Amino acid sequence: MFVAALILIISTGLFGFYLQTVCQKILRRQFSQEFFQSIVNANRLEFLSVRKAVENLNSPVEYPRLTLTLKCDFLALTYLLKNAANINQRYTYEERLLIVYFKLIFASLITRHWLKLGESSAVLKLTKILEYFANVVGERVNTVRFGNLTASDYLLNL
Amino acid sequence: MGGQFLIRGLQYGIYILEGVVCVSLASHGRWRRLKGLCLYVTLLFGLDGVARSAVLNYFGWDSSQFRYFYWLTDVVLALGAFLLTCSFFRRACAREEKLWFFVRKVLVFVFVLVIAVSALVLTRHYSKLFTYFIIEFSQNLYFSCLILNTMLYVMIQQLAIDDDELGLLVCGMGVQFAGEAAFLALFTLTAGDSFARDLIPFLSPACTLGMLLTWIYAITKTTQAAPAREQRGRRASWVEAIAD
Repeated sequence: MFVAALILIISTGLFGFYLQTVCQKILRRQFSQEFFQSIVNANRLEFLSVRKAVENLNSPVEYPRLTLTLKCDFLALTYLLKNAANINQRYTYEERLLIVYFKLIFASLITRHWLKLGESSAVLKLTKILEYFANVVGERVNTVRFGNLTASDYLLNL
Repeated sequence: MGGQFLIRGLQYGIYILEGVVCVSLASHGRWRRLKGLCLYVTLLFGLDGVARSAVLNYFGWDSSQFRYFYWLTDVVLALGAFLLTCSFFRRACAREEKLWFFVRKVLVFVFVLVIAVSALVLTRHYSKLFTYFIIEFSQNLYFSCLILNTMLYVMIQQLAIDDDELGLLVCGMGVQFAGEAAFLALFTLTAGDSFARDLIPFLSPACTLGMLLTWIYAITKTTQAAPAREQRGRRASWVEAIAD
């Protein structure tokens, strides 16, 4: 009984660890250029400013505003992932995995806030996922061209 | 009814993904470097997808022939998983020959230990020699694969091996082994309770799906790391060119 309980605890822990590592490895993917900046500017996303505020410990960030900002950016980016320059109009399986990962970290952020533990690491992870989504959207949009301009350049020049 | 439909869906999903892994290996030209993986996936498809289904259709679910065949193929698959883990160790130690000599001895020791521990069951169950030994052996081998896989992951981090493909392949194996081990432990803890019995047919294929999806991602999306031998050869030719 004891051995089975031990195996259950270790295996469950390892299962979560491996899933998290897969997500981290997907997030480490190198893009040919930084596409996220144009998407952030075009859609007025705020996760970059949230990241700066968290990295700069001096600037205070209100918790309700922070969660709302991240949630709004997440909704905007997941919508764009599905609909912007996406012929299939559906998420790929790695995007689905990262969406679940985002939701889990978001839940851990709320738990950390209740328990009064440090929230910055969770916030940085969330912004990293949002940056990846923005990069993917940017990469897709970049393939669509309007004359000599790419779609992201076109959006910026509006 | 709905449960059966979902189980069938998961099962067919696994067969399709096994095919996708093989096609991806061939189309990305990685099957030469990942021969072990190619063989394991082919074995998985051949035994789990084709042979088991054929035996099930011929003899039926409740037949002893199907039960024996199932556990025998399970041992073959466990051995395949162990050899695949060994091939990943070999790749991780490609630039560290001395370390590979040590790792090789550890792998042989682990395999002998698994046989020895499984053989202990024989002393208690002489009457059911065949079935008890085989079930115990495959379960112990899967659990030792989980431990070895974790050791391999730690080793990759320690040696700072910059090989995303290998890292993802190892993570995929980890998802499968950890999931399987957790469900088997849950099944043992609940003493075969109906809840655990109903859950296992869904969760076990879900883990296999997770492993195959991670492998497909590793094959299709990661950059191809140059094999160590090739790099060494290239370096040696440079040295020769400079010397000339």
